[in-house]
Amino acid sequence: MSLKFGILGLLAEQPLHGYDVKNRFESLLGGSWEVNFGQVYSTLQRLERDGLIEADGERGDRGKLAYRLTASGRKTLVDWLSRPESEPQQLREEIYVKLLLNTRLADGRLDDMLKAQRRVYMQRLKDLAELEQRARRERRDDLVLLFKGAILHTEADLKWTDACAEEIRNSNRKGGKAK
Amino acid sequence: MTRLVELIDVRKVYDGGAQHPALNGISLGVERGEFLAVMGPSGSGKSTLLNVVAGLDRPTSGRVLVDGRDLGRAGEAELARYRRSGVGFVFQFFNLLGSLTVLENVMVAAQLAGSGTAAARQRARELLAQLGIADQSGRYPARLSGGQQQRVAIARALVNQPLMLLADEPTGALDSRSGDQVMELLVELNRGGQTVLLVTHDAKLAARYAGRVVSLVDGRVADDVVLQPSTARAAEVVRVRVEEVAG
Repeated sequence: MSLKFGILGLLAEQPLHGYDVKNRFESLLGGSWEVNFGQVYSTLQRLERDGLIEADGERGDRGKLAYRLTASGRKTLVDWLSRPESEPQQLREEIYVKLLLNTRLADGRLDDMLKAQRRVYMQRLKDLAELEQRARRERRDDLVLLFKGAILHTEADLKWTDACAEEIRNSNRKGGKAK
Repeated sequence: MTRLVELIDVRKVYDGGAQHPALNGISLGVERGEFLAVMGPSGSGKSTLLNVVAGLDRPTSGRVLVDGRDLGRAGEAELARYRRSGVGFVFQFFNLLGSLTVLENVMVAAQLAGSGTAAARQRARELLAQLGIADQSGRYPARLSGGQQQRVAIARALVNQPLMLLADEPTGALDSRSGDQVMELLVELNRGGQTVLLVTHDAKLAARYAGRVVSLVDGRVADDVVLQPSTARAAEVVRVRVEEVAG
C-alpha cells in the first residue's frame, strides 16, 4: 500500500502532527513496519502541495504543525478505499529466480533448496500463529486480520514449494529433466 | 531411556500394491513427551504409519519398536493388549457409540482393557471433568456438538493411560473454533507429559501446535524438522509494504 493513503486515512479521523502520524501508523500495523520519519514528513508536504491536506491552525510549540484532510483529500481517500486492488500480484521473486537458475545450473541442489525453503515457511507459520494469538489476546482485531492474511499467503508459498518438488519428482521419474 | 517409538526401515506393501508401497523404508524415532505432527498429501502413507505404530497393521519388513516391544514379532494376544491400553486413538469423526451415554463411552474402553466397573467409572468421571464436559456425562453423543464429541473421544482415548495419543485429522470435522479448542486441549495434555502423534494434511495445524513436523511423500520421510517456540516480534515475521509515491 502507499504511505499517501495511509496518511490520508489517519487524518480522516482527526488532525495530527507529523510525529503522531508516524506513531499511529506504526501502531496500526502492529510494528510490522518501521516508519521512517523523513518519509512521513516529505509525504505530508507533498499532500499539502497537492491540496489533499492543509494546516490545522497555526504552527504550535517548537514549530509543530498539525494537518487535517481537505474535501479533495477526503474524496481521494474514499475513491481509493472503494477501489479493488488490481495491481499485478507480487510474487516472492527471489526464490522464484533461485529456483529457475538452480534448475538450469545444478539439478542436485533443487531438492535441498526446496526443503530449506519449506522449513522457513513452516517456522513462519508457527511464528504467525503465535502473533495471531497475541493480537487476539490484546483484542487487536485489525492485526488478527493482518496475520490471518499472512498465514494464508505462507500456506500458499508452502503449497507452491510442494508443487515444485512434485513436478521435479515426476519429471525425474519420467527420465526427463526439469527445464 | 530408550525412545518411545523407533521405526527402522519400515516397509508396508498392501496386497497387489508392490509397485507402490504405502511405506517405503521409513526410519523414525519418537521421544517420550514429544508432540509430533506427521504431514503429507493423501496417499503419502501417513495413516498407514499411524496404523503400524498403533499395532493395527504389521509392517511387511523392518522393525517397529514401541516402549521396547517389537510389534512386528508380537503375538496376536500381546498386540491386542497393546492396542487396548498402549495407544489412545482420536479420529476425525469421533467414532463414539451412539447407544451409550458419554460416561459409558469412556467407561467401556477401560472395561475392555480389564478395569472393574467402579474403577472405570471413577477414571471416566475424572477425565470428563478434566476435559470440561462432566456436565454432559449422562447425555448421548448425538446431543453433543462436534467439539464436545471430540472431547469425549479424547477422554476415551486417555482412559487407559496410553503411552501415546494418536490423533488422525482430529479437527477435520470441526469448525475452526472448536478445532482450535481441541488442539489446545492436546497441547495441554502434551504439557502434562502425554506423547502426541498428530496426523494431518494441514501444514498450518502442524506448524502451529507441534514441536516437530515429519513430512511424508510417497511413503518416505521427505523432511523431519524441529520448530522453534515462537518469540518473534511482528516486524521480524511480516512487513506491510508501504511505498512512498513519487511526484
